[in-house]
Amino acid sequence: MGKTIYGSDIKQIEQGVVSKKSSPFMRYFKKNYDMYLLLIPTLVFIIIFNIIPMYGITLAFKDYNMFAAETPWKSISASEWVGFKHFKNVFGRSDFKNALANTLIISAYKILFLFPLPIIFAIFLNEVNSIKFQKGLQLIVYLPHFLSWAVVAGIFVALLSSTGVVNMMLAKLGFEKVKFMMDNSVFRKVLVFSEGWKEIGWSSIIYFAAIAGLDQECYEAAHIDGANRFQQIWYITIPGLMPTIILMLILRVGSIMDAGFSQIFAMYNPTVYESADIIGTYVYRMGLGKMDFSMGTAVGLFNSLIGLILVLSSNKLAKKATGKSIW
Amino acid sequence: MATKQKHKISVFTIINVFILSLFGVITLLPVLHVVAKAFSGEGPVVAGLVTFWPKQFQTDTIKYVLKKPEFLSSFKVSLFVTIVGTAIAMFLTVTVAYPLSKPELKGRKFFLYIFVFIMLFNAGMVPNYLLYRSLNLTNTIWALIFPGAFSVFNMLVVKNYFESLPETVEEAARIDGASNMQTLYKVVIPMSLPVLATVTLFYAVGFWNNYMSGVLYITDPSLKPLQQYLYDLINEALETIDATGNIADIDSAMNLTGESVRAATIVVSTVPILLVYPSLQKYFVKGITIGSVKG
Repeated sequence: MGKTIYGSDIKQIEQGVVSKKSSPFMRYFKKNYDMYLLLIPTLVFIIIFNIIPMYGITLAFKDYNMFAAETPWKSISASEWVGFKHFKNVFGRSDFKNALANTLIISAYKILFLFPLPIIFAIFLNEVNSIKFQKGLQLIVYLPHFLSWAVVAGIFVALLSSTGVVNMMLAKLGFEKVKFMMDNSVFRKVLVFSEGWKEIGWSSIIYFAAIAGLDQECYEAAHIDGANRFQQIWYITIPGLMPTIILMLILRVGSIMDAGFSQIFAMYNPTVYESADIIGTYVYRMGLGKMDFSMGTAVGLFNSLIGLILVLSSNKLAKKATGKSIW
Repeated sequence: MATKQKHKISVFTIINVFILSLFGVITLLPVLHVVAKAFSGEGPVVAGLVTFWPKQFQTDTIKYVLKKPEFLSSFKVSLFVTIVGTAIAMFLTVTVAYPLSKPELKGRKFFLYIFVFIMLFNAGMVPNYLLYRSLNLTNTIWALIFPGAFSVFNMLVVKNYFESLPETVEEAARIDGASNMQTLYKVVIPMSLPVLATVTLFYAVGFWNNYMSGVLYITDPSLKPLQQYLYDLINEALETIDATGNIADIDSAMNLTGESVRAATIVVSTVPILLVYPSLQKYFVKGITIGSVKG
């Protein structure tokens, strides 16, 4: 594979002759052209399905007329520019403000109540000495992560309907039945709880692995010094987990603009728009439901831009704080 | 795992195991409730008497769901999409992860920037929809396959794993005259089975569980994937809830309530995941921890 060095090569190198053909890139390319062949299928795929759609963003600044050209896509370029009209329009709408507020509130609730639980779970599961118990419990608590939101929505509708077991128990205890899926004052709690039910176990994997990577001698030394379990957790496990916790928290906050689209889309209904309509569901209803394509694109663009800025800055922050990042 | 201390079972352990088990039970109970409803007689379901164990045990509802033509066609669509989609996705992922795992690849940084960018920034629902429509992909099986056929995150997981492999084995193959492609196929892939199994599982579950692509791109009933079929059932239910919070729909075909039919549909559509999931557990824990965070 061109490993042998011929006399003429040496001469060329000695004379410092660098012809166009033997530029470092060309030499590398000749030897490894198949590496670039391997890249081609995926590059073609993402150009079609990820890069080209970005041209459609121009819709946010146009009045879209779907029938301006032969295909809906060609109609984009045929439509008229209108500047920031759609943005001005949408920022004044109360249903948009409601969706934006809900996005932030639901995300904040989820972080506040759900972020600490996987950490606590991983720490206490690690304290169990039986590997069999650990493995068995992990098998159970990872499972809901593999169910679709359509299935989970179905499970919670069954659980929380008026014939569901929760209302049955409330009735037995003498309380009134609660319309969980229709009541604006409880629906967000349903969202937080079902998200926790689905993901707490799965999210604990990363902490569990981080604990397993801690120096075991520390624990032995602490034990000999008479530290009890709680002291070991407090003085060894938690400080050892800190970098992972900080990293995950920063990244979680970075994705605050996604309050759980597939979850809410599967679980919400018109009666709870007030408390659970988020930007993603709003884009769907405006853009595709009411066929207001330009406005849907504008709101979507607003959301992705803020999301992008948040993720980039949080990743930078994470790198600074912990020396780690996700890419 | 942490402490190798051999001591008698302490109060701490008892309380700890109890609370952890409680967490496990809370995870299982909602599932049990749905399974119980699926196998219970009509009367107890409507009266709201079913808890976590079937009352008036019967399998008619399950049989009814399994024989429904809409269910069968959706099941077939999902099966096809999952198998073909996962194969395509693994091809696209591995072929690009290997070159990008080589630090000496010229242009590597540029390619990685593109991939990270498309991971973080998406054109959005509307442009994607218009493109699929213009390419005549709506109401075709490809509208269910392409949206999930490549994940940058999964690619990065595989790439990071490839980077962690010892360089010497690949060097040996190259000295024996193997091309890069042969090295990938004969050396790198066989050494990476745990992470490839993990990513295959992620893609397959992603395809099986995706209901959104169906909602966006499919209106033809014969092309609806199973999860969309289920989503439609639940959505109907949410819209027919009456003022008391009761779901009041009746499936006239068998005089079954929508409630038991839904429960049975949930159960049958989740069984395939339950079948493959336990055997893959040992892979995904290892795979996700090795590949996901870069030091």
